[in-house]
Amino acid sequence: MTLFHRSLWFLASLALLVGLIWGWQILADARVLPRAFFPGPDLTWRALKRGVANGSLLSDTLTTLRRMALGWALASLIGVALGAFVGTSAWARVWIAPMFEALRPLPASAIAPVAMLFLGLTDTMILTLIAFGALWPMLLTTVHGFSNIHIRRREVATSLGLSRSAFITKIALPGALPDIMGGLRLGLTIALILVVVGEMVTVQGGLGARILLAARAFNAPEIFAGIAVLGVIGLLTNAVLSLVETYALRWQRR
Amino acid sequence: MSLSEHATSAMDAPRDTVLTVQEASVRYGATTVLKDLSLSLNRGEFVCVIGPSGSGKTTLLRLLAGLLTPVSGSVDFRGQPHRAPSRDIAIVFQDYTNALLPWRDAEGNVSLALEAAGVPRAERRDQIHALLRTVGLVGSEGKFPAEMSGGMQQRLQIARCLAQKPDVLLMDEPFGALDAMTRQKLQDELLGIVAESQVTAFFVTHDLEEAIYLGDRIIALEPNPGRVSQIFDVPLPKPRNQLTTREMPEFLRLRRQLFDFIERYEQ
Ligand SMILES: Nc1ncnc2c1ncn2[C@@H]1O[C@H](COP(=O)(O)OP(=O)(O)O)[C@@H](O)[C@H]1O
Ligand SMILES: [Mg+2]
Repeated sequence: MTLFHRSLWFLASLALLVGLIWGWQILADARVLPRAFFPGPDLTWRALKRGVANGSLLSDTLTTLRRMALGWALASLIGVALGAFVGTSAWARVWIAPMFEALRPLPASAIAPVAMLFLGLTDTMILTLIAFGALWPMLLTTVHGFSNIHIRRREVATSLGLSRSAFITKIALPGALPDIMGGLRLGLTIALILVVVGEMVTVQGGLGARILLAARAFNAPEIFAGIAVLGVIGLLTNAVLSLVETYALRWQRR
Repeated sequence: MSLSEHATSAMDAPRDTVLTVQEASVRYGATTVLKDLSLSLNRGEFVCVIGPSGSGKTTLLRLLAGLLTPVSGSVDFRGQPHRAPSRDIAIVFQDYTNALLPWRDAEGNVSLALEAAGVPRAERRDQIHALLRTVGLVGSEGKFPAEMSGGMQQRLQIARCLAQKPDVLLMDEPFGALDAMTRQKLQDELLGIVAESQVTAFFVTHDLEEAIYLGDRIIALEPNPGRVSQIFDVPLPKPRNQLTTREMPEFLRLRRQLFDFIERYEQ
């Protein structure tokens, strides 16, 4: 795509966003729902400004970002390492991979009570929750990427006398990278969902707790403000990861 | 020359042989793909292999590469039993797209062979550039495989194989996917490279004229089960020339013989 086309698309999606916010304002002004339950962009914006002014919104956002990043990094590390091991070892594929299939459909939120029981209402519990939930896409995409190495690449490696570790770092890992990047992106989305779930359960700061407390106080603009910040976090983190992906996989675009 | 005569002569001259196959059979499950096949490659010679599709040409190449072990018989490399792939035997695959690493540029792809051999980083650069010059890829050092034509990619794979400093160069229809002009150009370049490096070349092709043009010897395989049917010596003078060599009476005579041979298996 040319730069011109891309900027055109960017403008179009910006226009759509503006349109949606405008529609939201019209809907709120029409008083279809009571203003106390369904505030418009104006009240939400005011709540945002208030939060920024007293500093609480920034610290909650940073707390959420930190937990999300840590949990996601933990899941990525475990997922890619374990996935590489299972994907390259024939016996592990036979013996361990079926277990993944059994554990994977478990909704991560279902393990929240278990995590709470063992870890209490702590940061560790939130990280565990995120790591468990975000692990699966990374694990499965990495296994897939590693077990689908073209036979010719294996033959090239043996013919060159490449060591097993060199094979993994120089052939298997770069070859699996397109798959792994997809898993990292999926994992990021899951991490964002689970950090909110975890914070709502533990109520130890963060945007999730902020939204929960606002709901208890029937403070609808505050809820919407929190949701808006979460949306921006989702957009920005995904954009950053897309940039990283574009760079790491630049050889694919040629 | 009959098959048994050839096997005997191979054993009589062990000093000059690099790779020797003796009475080797290869099976895939219940089917015997190669049966009691004997063959020897002499140092520095260019051996071409032809045969109808399914006659076991690729299987024979993989046997020589050490990627396969025979169920009976033996393969010796420099007088020792040959059981696993060796850095001294390089393989040029037909599907260069799969054989090259798309995330490495031309330099990086050649570098892979040097890294595998433990060549220090400081020495790699000069070697890589010399190899890319040999195969005519100067100016494309930073190009990724996807930015190169088929001919350039195959040149790159050959450069990587040469980086192994092999004694034997095994090639499985390396020019099969290239257009006629590129193919002729690469044939001449390959002859030059082989002559200069004194490597032993084993070249599988389904192009009979290509086999005559390149080879010192042509091995014709017949199928079901795969075995050596005939061996043709190619007494054409070197260096060869795309125009004059192909017009020589000896070239035309061999061409006739090979077509007669292969015709028996067509249809
Ligand atoms: N991995 C395999 N498993 C089973 N049969 C195979 C395999 N590879 C090749 N064959 C069979 O062995 C025979 C020889 O194959 P191949 O060596 O590829 O022949 P060629 O290269 O001369 O066309 C064919 O009949 C083919 O079907
Ligand atoms: Mg073949």
